Amino acid sequence: MLSIFKSIPTHMDYKGQKLAEQIFQGIILISAVIGFIYGLIIQQFGWTVYIVLAGFAVSCVLTLPPWPMYRKNPLQWQPVIPESSGESPQKPQEASKRKKHK
Amino acid sequence: MNTVLSRANSLFAFSLSVMAALTFGCFVTTAFKDRRVPVDIHVSKVMLKNVDDFTGPRERSDLGFITFDISADLEPIFDWNVKQLFLYLSAEYATKSNSLNQVVLWDKIVLRGENTKLSLRDMKSKYFFFDDGNGLRSNKNITLTLSWNVVPNAGILPLVAGSGHVSLPFPETYETTKSY
Repeated sequence: MLSIFKSIPTHMDYKGQKLAEQIFQGIILISAVIGFIYGLIIQQFGWTVYIVLAGFAVSCVLTLPPWPMYRKNPLQWQPVIPESSGESPQKPQEASKRKKHK
Repeated sequence: MNTVLSRANSLFAFSLSVMAALTFGCFVTTAFKDRRVPVDIHVSKVMLKNVDDFTGPRERSDLGFITFDISADLEPIFDWNVKQLFLYLSAEYATKSNSLNQVVLWDKIVLRGENTKLSLRDMKSKYFFFDDGNGLRSNKNITLTLSWNVVPNAGILPLVAGSGHVSLPFPETYETTKSY
């Protein structure tokens, strides 16, 4: 069953990861400030926790799945060099380049 | 941050750190608050007996029975950092053999959300008022105080003595009721 989950692509490119981190940090901090002030006004700490949990849920939805906005800057790989009989020293280089792609 | 698990880990850890900071902020807003409230205690009846006390070494000890009224408004104590209050009524007195005796006679837990205006009439003590010997008879001065322990959501648990107390003498002979 685990192989099904492993085959779903969940990667983001680097700029997308940075954007995702900024988004969830911002959402959680804003919900924390709103929750703290609201809880202080109505004098119930439970509401502060609920608001922060709501912020957590929203940022889960926004940053966990790999939305297209996180894939806007893919890495530019070198174009594939067509194979010919005299290209054997370049093949290991291509193989090591492809391994870097995560 | 490339896989879902990595992002979820980062997100969850950040949320927990923020939650810890908010809890600390909650503690800071109520750390220096004065938790005392005026309390009115009135004793209506006191009776004294001399019975075998099997928990102590001596033959017979004094056993007191007190009927009391308490009224207090605990509303100002409750804020967003208070989970419950543990109230207890204690009697304090001095005898020939011990210079300080403190006995808890009755206690109650008041949760947040329950009725905070206490007005209890004709309450009997919950726990036995045994003396270590025979020091209750003809004792001139026994002081009853209502104190409480504030149980917070985050922070220190202060033990606050109530602002009202009543002192009363005990009867001179056994098995007689003294009314106030």
